[in-house]
Amino acid sequence: MKLKKYISLTRAGIMDSLQFRLATFVMVIGNLLYLIVVYFLWKAIYASSGTDIVNGMTFTDTLIYLVLATALFNFMEMYTVWEIGRAIQSGKIVLDLLKPMEYRKYLFWSYSGSFITQFFFTFLPTFIVVSAVTHGAIHLGMNLLWFVISVVIAVSINYSIDFIVGTICLYTESIWGINIMKQVVVLLLSGATVPIAFFPEPLKTIVSRLPFQSIYNAPLTILLESSPDTKDVLCTIGIQLMWCIIMMIVSKLFWKISLRQITVNGG
Amino acid sequence: MKRKGIGFYLRIYRKILAQDIKSKMSYRADFIISTIGMICTNISGFVGFWIMFRNFPSINGWSYHEMLFLYGFSLISLTPVQCLFDNNWSLRMYVYSGDFIKYCFRPINLFFYYQSEVFDIKGLGQLAFGIGTLAYSWGKIGIGFSPLILLKLIVFLITASLIMIALQNAAAATCFWIQNSFFVLDLVFRFKDYAKYPVTIFSPVFRFIFTFLMPIAFIAYYPSLVILRPDEIPLLSWLSPVIGLIFFYISYKIWMHGAMKYSGTGS
Repeated sequence: MKLKKYISLTRAGIMDSLQFRLATFVMVIGNLLYLIVVYFLWKAIYASSGTDIVNGMTFTDTLIYLVLATALFNFMEMYTVWEIGRAIQSGKIVLDLLKPMEYRKYLFWSYSGSFITQFFFTFLPTFIVVSAVTHGAIHLGMNLLWFVISVVIAVSINYSIDFIVGTICLYTESIWGINIMKQVVVLLLSGATVPIAFFPEPLKTIVSRLPFQSIYNAPLTILLESSPDTKDVLCTIGIQLMWCIIMMIVSKLFWKISLRQITVNGG
Repeated sequence: MKRKGIGFYLRIYRKILAQDIKSKMSYRADFIISTIGMICTNISGFVGFWIMFRNFPSINGWSYHEMLFLYGFSLISLTPVQCLFDNNWSLRMYVYSGDFIKYCFRPINLFFYYQSEVFDIKGLGQLAFGIGTLAYSWGKIGIGFSPLILLKLIVFLITASLIMIALQNAAAATCFWIQNSFFVLDLVFRFKDYAKYPVTIFSPVFRFIFTFLMPIAFIAYYPSLVILRPDEIPLLSWLSPVIGLIFFYISYKIWMHGAMKYSGTGS
């Protein structure tokens, strides 16, 4: 019974996102273009550096890392901050709060449908193209399973961070600025723009202590490891789980406290 | 209808601008947060750039400071599209809701009136950042300074900025045909990130595409060659002002064509 209400939200989400086939098509093209630019840029960089391995990463490693980071970003981006912000501005949030489901859960599950379509239409094609272009540099074995587990946790962490940032909108009533700040901070500190292996020393240590690297760096590192050491993998996933729980608690508490703040005009 | 001169349009522009800034200022918190967000974007872009170059002293024969010059150049030439043409992002909303019809009834140029309605002050931070970067790399490379070179710089910056404006106009105008143009706009908006790399890193096929089909090479690469490598300026660099004007004109025609066939929503 409990599961049924979630599944019906997921189904509605799938139908909703299938309405925008053109959008998906444009997104695939955008990803391919990005892939091309990243490919040539890093090819030129590695050609100029004179060595094959920089900071423990080969050219194909870097390519896979960056392209899949973008694919993951597109897959995980749920526009949560926009959704919450707009619901607050329009007053629609009152109706959402009245629903017999926690708002945090409602929002997540109504988006879960587009996760599924995004996965099949953007992430999977990108993944296949990348593994074809790099001639099977992605090791296909146990690491895929760990990767999937890691991505699921990453989705949860990402959602919690988004939800916290969205909650800030209750106070500021500014969406664009808050969202762009979150986006650049997360993308840079999670290693999605430049792999964390390239970061200079003090910065690297700081970044590895922050929750952001669990979103992109952790799953991608697991994926790229061709002979995974179970202990290392479990350690990475353990850290992810820890952040997942911490962020979940923080986002829930913050929302609960902030709800007292809410003012909705008219209605 | 009597044609109106440039003085007339400048006077109107000043009046509309004043109104827009007044209305923006009434949401002070939003304005401040958005400005901080914009500064964050620029800083994180720069940090990513810096981390990358810490590992690699040069790319494809381009030194760190030369790449920085390209980066600064692209930031400045992308400012006008940010400041003056930001209303393109709302176009799909106006068209969808039917509010666009109000612009069709004004006795002045439709395109001008629509674009002049919003001035995005946030873009000025980017301008300052770009000028700083450009001046710094200018000094480090040791390019001489003369009034002539300054004139060249300004002319090439302005014409380079037309490229991105043209791309964005054309992308925004797609909403007259396909309703939701957000994804097209977003795709084009991401092109700007590719503009800061020298086009020579690409293979000939993509060099052709990025020069003639998606002319992002004209945003920074070709025009800045005039300043950076004065001994070997390719013909395309000298042509870049003309190409900027041509692309702008085409995009204007597309935009107006879409606006002219717009028939409202009937309400």
